[in-house]
Amino acid sequence: MNSETAAATKARTKMTVRDLNFYYGKFHALKSINLDIAEKQVTAFIGPSGCGKSTLLRTFNRMFELYPDQRAQGAIEMDGDNLLTTKEDVALLRAKIGMVFQKPTPFPMSIYDNIAFGVKLFERLSRSEMDDRVEWALRKAALWNEAKDKLGQNGTSLSGGQQQRLCIARGIAVKPEVILFDEPCSALDPISTAKIEELIEELKADYTVAIVTHNMQQAARVSDYTAYMYLGELIEFGETDQIFIKPKRKETEDYITGRFG
Amino acid sequence: MSAVVNAGRSDYRLPMHRRRKVINVIALVLSLAAMTFGLVWLIWILVETFLLGVDGLRLATFTQDTPPPNTDSGGLRNAIVGSLMMVSLATLIGTPVGVLSGIYLAEYGQRGWFGEVTRFINDILLAAPSIVIGLFIYAVVVAPRGGFSGWSGVLALALIVVPVVVRTTENMLALIPNSLREAAYAVGASKYVMIKSVTLKAAIAGVITGVLLALARIAGETAPLLFTALSNQFFSADLSKPMANLPVTIFKFAMSPFENWQKLAWAGVFLITLGVLVLNILARMLFHKKD
Amino acid sequence: MPIGDHSSRVYDQELENMRSRVLQMGGLVESQIKVALDAFDAGDVAAAEQAIAADRRVNELELELDKLVNHVIARRQPTAGDLRMIMGVAKTITDIERSGDEASKIARAVIWLRDKDSSGRFNRIPDIRSSGEAALTMFRHALDAFARMDASAAAATIREDQAVDDRFRAILRQLVTYMMEDPRSITPSIDTVWIAKAIERIGDHAKNIAEHVIFIAQGEDVRHSSPEEVERTVARN
Repeated sequence: MNSETAAATKARTKMTVRDLNFYYGKFHALKSINLDIAEKQVTAFIGPSGCGKSTLLRTFNRMFELYPDQRAQGAIEMDGDNLLTTKEDVALLRAKIGMVFQKPTPFPMSIYDNIAFGVKLFERLSRSEMDDRVEWALRKAALWNEAKDKLGQNGTSLSGGQQQRLCIARGIAVKPEVILFDEPCSALDPISTAKIEELIEELKADYTVAIVTHNMQQAARVSDYTAYMYLGELIEFGETDQIFIKPKRKETEDYITGRFG
Repeated sequence: MSAVVNAGRSDYRLPMHRRRKVINVIALVLSLAAMTFGLVWLIWILVETFLLGVDGLRLATFTQDTPPPNTDSGGLRNAIVGSLMMVSLATLIGTPVGVLSGIYLAEYGQRGWFGEVTRFINDILLAAPSIVIGLFIYAVVVAPRGGFSGWSGVLALALIVVPVVVRTTENMLALIPNSLREAAYAVGASKYVMIKSVTLKAAIAGVITGVLLALARIAGETAPLLFTALSNQFFSADLSKPMANLPVTIFKFAMSPFENWQKLAWAGVFLITLGVLVLNILARMLFHKKD
Repeated sequence: MPIGDHSSRVYDQELENMRSRVLQMGGLVESQIKVALDAFDAGDVAAAEQAIAADRRVNELELELDKLVNHVIARRQPTAGDLRMIMGVAKTITDIERSGDEASKIARAVIWLRDKDSSGRFNRIPDIRSSGEAALTMFRHALDAFARMDASAAAATIREDQAVDDRFRAILRQLVTYMMEDPRSITPSIDTVWIAKAIERIGDHAKNIAEHVIFIAQGEDVRHSSPEEVERTVARN
């Protein structure tokens, strides 16, 4: 039984990637990717720079469509629908699949407005309902205690680690089903990194999480499933314990043990 | 022991170091000299303007209209009012056009021929001598209409404002990192919402700075007004007629042999210089406050 | 030695889980040894079989714990105290499991003896009983020291090994006497030697566990040192 089906039978599948190919102009960046993202689990993508892991993540919420040179072929299925060809508005899709980026990017507005921003796009809430939602999101992102007295202050008045948690709260506030993290801790110090890793472990109780990281120890700490990619191909995918204790492919073992070129 | 080691080492490094030090000092002296040279002229201009301008400045300057030559009374009231009216209207007309065009260029027109062509034409307009703009309005508005007017002056000034605002708006928006745009999209925002609530908001200080700088520029423009609004010795708030304004008034008075006119001209120069200075300082403060 | 307060609660839980499983395994083997020794005393074959059957659960725990150890090393990259804890636990598991095996050996020998020792002489050798109790006490003390991560208690346990070794030699001498007296007693005597040897090995494993405890608690490797040296090292830290 190959590792992909083993992963799928353990937990329910939230998203299925089928024969996904991706191009930057003429450059073939992702080659026939097939994998399942398990529901309410953390799936990590590791691999050397340029292997395509961020590219793959950005196909999930169609972020690549902002750039005319980039195109994707194949299927990404979620809830019976192919995200790449669906008739549903891409903005609604992005509310269901949230993303946290490498560099914390608070909007130029107060902390409260940062979080209310996304919610206002899709829901009409009364002031008190919005207050509740903002508090809920900040609590979920482990930022409430530090932010509750300065909700009116600009988002940029927070420290780097706090800003990143603000971005996470902002993503959670619209109640997505999937949260994508693109190297969320690269710009942060070790303590902030540890806080966010702890947060990700808690988030998976409610959300399906996919995380791209260049730090494979982070993948080992945080994820339930790990995918190793190299030069646009998915080399190996399986439960994190299996990948880190007994990888099936030599390439995976070489990368993980640091015997890489 | 370290002293022995160091003594041996520093010997071979010293000659090159000394030579570099000398070159350093020479360069520093030359730069300071150049700066002083520039500053001297600037300060001289400001001091002259101040002294001569203040000399001609009285309460009457603000309460009385431009006098006939060789009298002792008179002020610049009509010119000041006229300038204020035309400059504000030009800014009010030119800013929305400029900001919206800048938004188009930065957010929609990064690629494709239309954006490129627009940018190119804008750069040409930006560099165009203001006298050309004035003549253009003359040919297109003043001549067919058969008369100078405040409105044609407003139009000419607006045509100077627009390229400046387009350029600064586009630049300020382009400074906003793409990651902020992506973050807005990632929460489900549409392009319009993203621009309005995120990127424009983030760049607003820079955009306003651009507007203030455009304002400062047209405050002192003479050539376009010569062919459009001309001037008016009497007080008039009627934009459909020729309108008094500071630059043209200064032009007329300064070149005249009459002493009272010359004094008023200096007062006018001082007022314009002061206004432009204040606007620049405001613009600078605003831009730095953002940081 | 702090276990808690990692930024990851799951990590804390994994370590706590590991510790309690080790103690669970140790407790199982402790009672396994006791049952085996009592079986020897009473010549009780049924009890002996019970002791042998207990091995299965002990082996399951060993596999589970080793898997857990691998998991924690691969996933958490433990360092310092956590690393010593993992290394110490990995080794302690082995010693506990082997002690269980020794208890099984005792039980199996009891079953053989039953058929061959019609005189019932062998299970009345007093030294066997007392060395069995001494070894069991050592084992208990070692587990106790592990539970509390108490290096002094561990050092005291190491000291007790000497007595167990001495008693083993005394038993051997006694058995040699039996064998010289009566050649028919050679087979049961040899079976009894296995029992005595197993008891002595249990004492050695308990000593090993105590050494692991000192390593975890203080970072000192006291293997192959005399009990006096061990006590000095422990007191220093």
